[in-house]
Amino acid sequence: MDLLLHLRYFRTVAEEQHFGRAAARLRMAQPSLSQRIQRLERELGVRLLDRGPRGATLTPAGRLVLADTEHLLTAADRLTATVARVHSGALGTLRAAVPPGLGAPAVGALLTAFRTRSPGADLELRELPTTEQTAELTAGTLDVGIVRHPCPAPGLAFGPTLHQPLGALLAADDPLAAPPELPTAALTGRDLVLFPRAEAPALHDETLTACARHGCTPATVHEAAGPDFTRGLVLSGHAIALVPRTPDGAGTVWRPLRGNPVTWRTSTAWPDGKDGPAVRLFADTAHEILREHADMRPAPSARMVFPRPASEFPL
Amino acid sequence: MTPHPAARRITAAFTDAGVTGRLHATDIDTGAALGVGSDTPVPTASVHKLCLVATLYRRAHLGLVDPTRPVDIPAEGRAPGSTGLSVMRDAARLSLRDLASLAVAVSDNTAADLLWDALGLDTVNTTMAELGLTHTRAVHTMRELYETMREDAAGDPAAYTDPAAVTRLRALDPTRTNRSTPREITALLAAVWRDEVCPGEYGEELRALLGLQAWTHRLAAGFPFDDVRVSGKTGSLPTLRHEAGVVEYPDGGRYAVAVFTRAASTDVTLPAADAAIGRAARIAVDALRTPSA
Repeated sequence: MDLLLHLRYFRTVAEEQHFGRAAARLRMAQPSLSQRIQRLERELGVRLLDRGPRGATLTPAGRLVLADTEHLLTAADRLTATVARVHSGALGTLRAAVPPGLGAPAVGALLTAFRTRSPGADLELRELPTTEQTAELTAGTLDVGIVRHPCPAPGLAFGPTLHQPLGALLAADDPLAAPPELPTAALTGRDLVLFPRAEAPALHDETLTACARHGCTPATVHEAAGPDFTRGLVLSGHAIALVPRTPDGAGTVWRPLRGNPVTWRTSTAWPDGKDGPAVRLFADTAHEILREHADMRPAPSARMVFPRPASEFPL
Repeated sequence: MTPHPAARRITAAFTDAGVTGRLHATDIDTGAALGVGSDTPVPTASVHKLCLVATLYRRAHLGLVDPTRPVDIPAEGRAPGSTGLSVMRDAARLSLRDLASLAVAVSDNTAADLLWDALGLDTVNTTMAELGLTHTRAVHTMRELYETMREDAAGDPAAYTDPAAVTRLRALDPTRTNRSTPREITALLAAVWRDEVCPGEYGEELRALLGLQAWTHRLAAGFPFDDVRVSGKTGSLPTLRHEAGVVEYPDGGRYAVAVFTRAASTDVTLPAADAAIGRAARIAVDALRTPSA
């Protein structure tokens, strides 16, 4: 027996104090309603209503059951509404992640914006490198993330790609720091500082390939894991770090590369087929925030692609 | 089963190149083997041409097909491809076995499709099943495979380098495209080299044909030794780079290796990912040649 449904019938009869009127309100036949109330009485083992010629009146037991019925139905309605809000993304815990180095302004804005748009939802945000995010998205311990590309794709779906230009972090007295922007080729022969290759080999290679494509062949490439060590190498004089936009200060300045030819690609990612409303809300919010607060932009223009014969597939 | 000590180094070689990879390597004569994800279903791409040419020669050996039978090749209706008949302009006429040569030497998709048409998908699948390869299955020809790519990309070639679009390509899903496992592909190669697919003259001819491949950037790159012979067949689709082949040393050691990779990057030109196939293969072959390594 569906107890909640039968209690709803009972409440209606109690409110109308009449089987006929209650049946009309419930849009069902009176005999059917009578049978259901009898079934409820059998199930509970008490008589709830006295049936008289002028209508139905509550028994003392019926009055007690009605009071609890109100509580139960109110709680049930609340439960249904909650579940509906979870489905719509307005409520529940969303397990999300951002990659290291996204910048404090972007992370702060993302948390604020998500909370504003989804006041009841609990956002559990962690900082995880792309490789760990893909592992957790696959394992089901993460719902959605912001990943840097190249990102291993099996089992994942991605939001639209955004590009974050890299620029040169230079010592403030470096002659290259004088103009407001510099050509990538000007970095040729200098020591470059980049994140450790082991953290993301494909991105490391892609970044240096983009430098080469635009005329920059560095003398050596130093690997530096954190902003402090990176800045230290730059302050030592000869090295230039390739990093996203960084505030000037502490003896260093950041200069864009002319035409922004070297970019890091970023997108949201989630397990394929599991883009519920909460995931989509996070993905849409993240896309906006990254554009506003992390210096990211849509792809400049479609890149020419010339596959070589050994690539085996034509475009 | 505990993983082979070399497995960790093979995985590291894949990771270092920004790819995930599956590999199986086997000593053709002793049956000693090692692998990483050896039984994982993989989309075979052009590696499936191995199954195609092996079927041609097995049926030739059984007297069911004449490999010298000429095939008319009209100028129109050729399969997409960047080499061989796919890029040639005029009508031609070639024998079945010369089509097989083109399909292996330069991964000629038109040559392969003429063979698929001549033999039939079912015949190739049945032949593989007869050899005990029950997870090796072709579901479409090369032109049908490219048709799924065109449909999935909705006519936009840029989709092949867009990470979000690449994840939607059916051609990369082993449940919906031509497929096998690393272990089954090395089993096929080992069978060819052990004369179990077709003995005698046809066996010799098939092995010689599999040594014709022009590319050296993948498997062969791992064995840059004049006295070592490398036969193989590559396979590639967006983010996929494969090669399966046989490596023969002058001391008589011969090893079948199959390497299937998927790159994180959607770039079409990725020399590091190509080279990782040779590097991983050599780690595997060295481990089989020196069991203590």
